[in-house]
Amino acid sequence: MLTRGSVAFGVGSAILGGAAAVALTAFILSSAGATTGTLSATVSGTASSPKGLLPHAFLDLSTYPDSEAGSHGSDGGAHPDWVTYGPVTNLRVPAHSLVTVTIKQYDTGGTITNPYFAKVHGTVDGTELIDGKSVTQTDADAVGHTFTIHALPTNQDPLYVSVPLPAVADDAPTSPGSDYPDPHVVTFSFVTGGKGSYIWNCEYPCGDGTYAKFGGPMSTQGYMSGTLTVA
Amino acid sequence: MSAAVSDVAPQASTAPTGGGVLRRLNIVTAVWAGSALAAIGWFIAHELWQDGDHGSDQVVLVTLICWSVGFMVGIGAFNGPIGWIRGNDLAHEDELFLAGKDQGIGRYFRFTTDHKVVGIQYLIVTMVLFALGGTLAMLIRTNLISPDSQFLSAQTYNAIVGLHGLIMIIATIIMVTGPFGNFIVPIMIGARDMAFPRLNALSLWLIVAAIPVLFSAAFLGGIPTGWVGYAPLADQAPPGMDAYSIFILIFAVSSAVAGANITTTVLTMRARGMSWRRTPIFVFGTVASVGLALPAFPLFMASQILLQVDRTQGGQFYVASGGGSPWLYANLFWLMGHPEVYVILIPAIAALMELTPVFARKPLFSFNTAVIAIAGIVGLSVMVWAHHMYAAGWAPDLNGPFMLTTEMISVPTGLLFLVILGTLWRGRIWTTVPMLATYAMLWNFIIGGITGIYLSDVPADYALHGSMFVTAHFHYTLMGAGLTGAIGALAYWFPKMTGRMLNERAGYISFWLVQIGFNVTFIGMFAVGLAGQPRRVVTYAHLFAAGNLVSTLGAYCIGIGMLVLLYAIVSSWMHGPIAPANPWGAKTLEWTVPNPIPLENFEVLPVVTEDPYGYGVDEAFLTAELVSGSAPRTASTGSATATQAEVAAGSGQQVATLDREAGQL
Amino acid sequence: MSTDLPAPDGPSEPVVQSVAGWRAERVRIFWIWLVLTGLLVVFSLTVPARLMGPPASPTMHSVESTMTLFSVAASPVAALVWAIALYSLLRWRSKGRPTADGPAIRGHAATTVAWAVTSTVLCVFLLVWGMAEMIVINSPAEANAPLVVDVTGQQWVWTFSYPSQGNVESDQLYLPVDRPVIFHVTSKDVIHSFWVVQMGIKIDANPGETTKTSVMPDKIGVFDVRCAELCGLRHAEMQTSAHVVSASDFNSWLSQNGGHS
Repeated sequence: MLTRGSVAFGVGSAILGGAAAVALTAFILSSAGATTGTLSATVSGTASSPKGLLPHAFLDLSTYPDSEAGSHGSDGGAHPDWVTYGPVTNLRVPAHSLVTVTIKQYDTGGTITNPYFAKVHGTVDGTELIDGKSVTQTDADAVGHTFTIHALPTNQDPLYVSVPLPAVADDAPTSPGSDYPDPHVVTFSFVTGGKGSYIWNCEYPCGDGTYAKFGGPMSTQGYMSGTLTVA
Repeated sequence: MSAAVSDVAPQASTAPTGGGVLRRLNIVTAVWAGSALAAIGWFIAHELWQDGDHGSDQVVLVTLICWSVGFMVGIGAFNGPIGWIRGNDLAHEDELFLAGKDQGIGRYFRFTTDHKVVGIQYLIVTMVLFALGGTLAMLIRTNLISPDSQFLSAQTYNAIVGLHGLIMIIATIIMVTGPFGNFIVPIMIGARDMAFPRLNALSLWLIVAAIPVLFSAAFLGGIPTGWVGYAPLADQAPPGMDAYSIFILIFAVSSAVAGANITTTVLTMRARGMSWRRTPIFVFGTVASVGLALPAFPLFMASQILLQVDRTQGGQFYVASGGGSPWLYANLFWLMGHPEVYVILIPAIAALMELTPVFARKPLFSFNTAVIAIAGIVGLSVMVWAHHMYAAGWAPDLNGPFMLTTEMISVPTGLLFLVILGTLWRGRIWTTVPMLATYAMLWNFIIGGITGIYLSDVPADYALHGSMFVTAHFHYTLMGAGLTGAIGALAYWFPKMTGRMLNERAGYISFWLVQIGFNVTFIGMFAVGLAGQPRRVVTYAHLFAAGNLVSTLGAYCIGIGMLVLLYAIVSSWMHGPIAPANPWGAKTLEWTVPNPIPLENFEVLPVVTEDPYGYGVDEAFLTAELVSGSAPRTASTGSATATQAEVAAGSGQQVATLDREAGQL
Repeated sequence: MSTDLPAPDGPSEPVVQSVAGWRAERVRIFWIWLVLTGLLVVFSLTVPARLMGPPASPTMHSVESTMTLFSVAASPVAALVWAIALYSLLRWRSKGRPTADGPAIRGHAATTVAWAVTSTVLCVFLLVWGMAEMIVINSPAEANAPLVVDVTGQQWVWTFSYPSQGNVESDQLYLPVDRPVIFHVTSKDVIHSFWVVQMGIKIDANPGETTKTSVMPDKIGVFDVRCAELCGLRHAEMQTSAHVVSASDFNSWLSQNGGHS
């Protein structure tokens, strides 16, 4: 028969066991889709911006045609043939700052499905520098990737930045001492508001072999999409 | 152990008398055979196709099919057919072995045909599924405790949402017709087993084989589409989607087998004298449910076959640019999806309609109305599917007609309320845990039903579709009415299925924790849904923070309540007081058999002379008539009417039954 | 057997009897029903529409009226079910195991018919109301000279363009107040659902198809555009703002972005 003590013990252990099961499941499932590492922008001096003199932060990113560079290990991890951003995809930048991002774009490309994203949106002056040249848009038929930041409009200061990264020519030769051709170097700056959580992703469909080319690396964290924390 | 694969089939067929391998097969050999065949399949598929355009999907597809086939071989599902091909049929002792005679606890881990064993197996499978789905629900709610929790990544969150939805849908589909449809219904209709005992075991073990398939999705990139698997997102999804398809294919076969079996059993094996008007309402509910699933699930199966053609062969069924249409998927899916909610609801409410007369000590109010209402719901439920697609843009001109059929379904549903209220009316209410489930259903299903009426209205649905309001609505129906009914059914039939009484105090504590937690959770969700929070989002506007916090706290309350229930079930099953044969004084046939129930249920098949709701004609508890098989029927079936109780022929047998009960005590 | 309950009916004589105590019970149930109905009506008139927030279009206004009206109409039904259930729990409950059966009521034809007829009438009312409402919400589509906005959903952003205003493009929705708008909605990839929350409109964005919805914004302000169909990794973030501005502000926004009115 069941005594009061054994009932209490049984109920208590059932609840503790249940909580442990929930925690264990969370751990297993989270580690199945984990992304590692955060890249924080380095702050160096101040710069003038449309919002006055602000701390100046710098971020360096790259886009690769495969996953053998970036955070997936030298063998490319689970999907060596997926395109990826690097070095990591979780980014952190300071609040109320001018953030200058430099992206080395090593990948080829083609025609973007929505020409809106072949234009520059939300940067200082509405421009980006491509290999030193200031532009407001690129050839919609030769886009490699885009870097598009957005978020829920209501939870933090608005930040909508989208820049096209021009494609490297299909027949570009591999540069000496590298696995890739010479990249296009794209530089742009934007001004952050208060603290908030944003996400970014690529709007050039580059998940080859998947429906609408938006599966695979486009829909998997750690490849063509990540987070941007303004702190 | 990979030898198991090649060994099993030939040996089984060379040993038709049931010796050797046939008697050694169990869940362990099944897992080994499944793993071995899966490994072989993976190796071959990997060598052949890995580098192709759809390589990873093809490899996953082949591997998971091989697992399932290997598992079924390893459990012994194919022994019978192979024997027939060789011209041998099973001897009587083989049949008894298959039925689990004298095998103790081991029979629960085998391909056992006894419907009572299958019922218990279904109960365990259902509880395992609820535990898994509930765990995922806790993770979802923990993530949503605040908009900035970042407890789960978007990827993990989406995968969990899909898995939680699918697991819970499958669990709720089988939660009543599986355990109680298999264990209780055959005894309730006075049969010794199901019509097709081996199909019965097959339906159960197919689900067991399919569960690891479903879970493999979590490690194959997840199911990022939600449980609906909408194309073309499903065309784009990672290989977890292939696991989804295979799971649905296996489940559809299982439900077809189970549906044909239960329907045939009820149609052909009812006891002598059990006319339709003397057949318990739960039997109607079970047959309606599995009968409705019979045409519904093949459509789901078809939708997944087309999806697999898209995914593994480059087909374009759902790809607009290739001439296909996403609306094809949506239609196939909802042609299954709306009947499916009634597949879940009808047997749960029928179980409550079965137990309410017992605890109100009154006949079921207007039996005919109950049957007509169930039939009406079944009929209408296949004509309402496009109300899920009002906002799809598929056929705007059809929104009006579908609004009509959808709103019409509230008429038969309302009649079910009348039947239960009429039964409570001036009853002697005995507030056991099963009876409390009836009251909880009356509360929850009214809320679920009324919120369904808002959603049936096309303009209101434009505002509410795809929001948390919809999520709260269908949890009120499927969980508030469906799962509550299943828990009531479990508490009601627990003494018959386990031979022990369920711990009442723990049952009450669990009941209140679950019901209060449930209402807190989903009323919070209604509020944020009305305010505009979309479904299936990993984060949300700060505006919804308070409502989500309330929902999460309520969900924890449900979780604790369910754990208390789990404790009550396990501890009572192991140590609970021994149950008498008929602890509730009910009149359906399952309560006339002793505990533990003999292998073939009835020594002498009963002859039924009245319906099981003859309360109030005598002060004593009546039980259904047990007359010897050769005795003439005492009443003709044609003369019975729903408003006329047929007076029991005599009380001698009832006394005999009660004496036997006293002996058990 | 307790004395406050009437004797069981004979099996051939179901229901309906005139015991005084039983009549009193019906009166008590009626009062419980009336009180519950009153509470639910108050709830219906105050809560659902308020939770949905101030409407930003006649469409949303109509939806909120519908929510309120349906809630009020459902109140007596829910109250009836709960009143009987509550009363049975409070007054007909037996302490522990009942020692006797209740009356052998097998049904009551008049009640059943009344129940079925009432619910059918309610059902017809819902349908007629819904049809009338559909005419109201479709009226912006029939209006003269509506503004046409092309809406494109793609994973996981919205873009809007104004084909008759020089193909002005934007990632946020700008609309002039009090002018009917027709949205032509499509998708570049998977199914999305275009939802302007405070205007009460929603239509799926399907690849390869153009779907239409229409509305007349009647309130200046900033509203929410959300995706209402799970569309993959960043579905939660597929949101933007809808700015409803005066006609002159709208024109200046157009010209700033290289368009014309």
